[in-house]
Amino acid sequence: MRRLRVVLLAAALAIAAPVLPALAHHGWAWTEDGFFELTGIVKEVFVGNAHATLDLEVEGVVWRVELAPPGPTMAAGFTEDTVKPGDEVVALGNRSLDPNEKRMKAVRITTGGKAYDIYPARVPAN
Amino acid sequence: MEALLGSLEQLALIKALKTSFFAYPIVNALHILAIGALVTAVLLMDLRVIGVIRSLDEQPFVRLLRRVALWAFALAVLTGALMFAVRATEYAGMPLFWIKMGLIGLAGVNFVAFSLLRQPSAKRVLAGVSITLWPLVLLAGRFLGFVL
Ligand code: HEM
Repeated sequence: MRRLRVVLLAAALAIAAPVLPALAHHGWAWTEDGFFELTGIVKEVFVGNAHATLDLEVEGVVWRVELAPPGPTMAAGFTEDTVKPGDEVVALGNRSLDPNEKRMKAVRITTGGKAYDIYPARVPAN
Repeated sequence: MEALLGSLEQLALIKALKTSFFAYPIVNALHILAIGALVTAVLLMDLRVIGVIRSLDEQPFVRLLRRVALWAFALAVLTGALMFAVRATEYAGMPLFWIKMGLIGLAGVNFVAFSLLRQPSAKRVLAGVSITLWPLVLLAGRFLGFVL
């Protein structure tokens, strides 16, 4: 039984170790502290589980803008009908710590002259 | 293919799941429950076959755990398919999703081979393959949400 315990522990560690750095993508730990603004053209919008996303094309590069889960996103007034491909959008939020990753998490989306506060508590004071 | 995936996303049940507050996390939780049962059953079964666990008779132990593993796998497929359908086009375009499906396929072939073979030494080798493959499926599944 002692041998079994050692084998199981080793297996658990082997499985857990590579997963730990990846936990970054939940919450804000994977993003920069300072705010970042991205202006782009909508390629695709998804408002659904597990979280909503907006794909924005900026100078030929497609960025993935993460929003909130569908509940809070829609509560902010932002639905899949709010934007359509081709619309111009300004996303304010925090970009990935990895400068090569074209990814950010938005706290506010501005489009058609209207601002949608996806994470109202995190929107910087004007 | 694209059209098929798109119509999957448009099913009434799937559209409800897409923006639901409770249903999606529950389906997700059932997927995790199934995976926990599946990987545990597989690990114990393989360790018994390999000979690390010796305190229980192999036949009834393996027979019980195989039943658990098959039911757990069925639940994982059902709940996994539901989550897949919510964003079918997106998942279908992700190499990692197909790596996960490929690993499940390999594990399935390994399972069939294990069931057909009689030679104990060969069965031990296949149990070793199984003990490696299933945790890899789990890893691929967990990473999916982070590359999405
Ligand atoms: C045909 C079978 C399966 C399909 C179609 C499927 C599909 C999915 C989908 C769509 C997700 C959601 C990914 C996301 O977060 O965006 C998921 C999550 C996951 N899957 Fe599967 N899956 C299947 C079987 C399995 C099996 C057999 C395992 C493990 C042995 C597994 C492990 C996982 C894990 C660990 C997660 C992450 C759960 C979480 O963190 O919330 N899946 N799967």
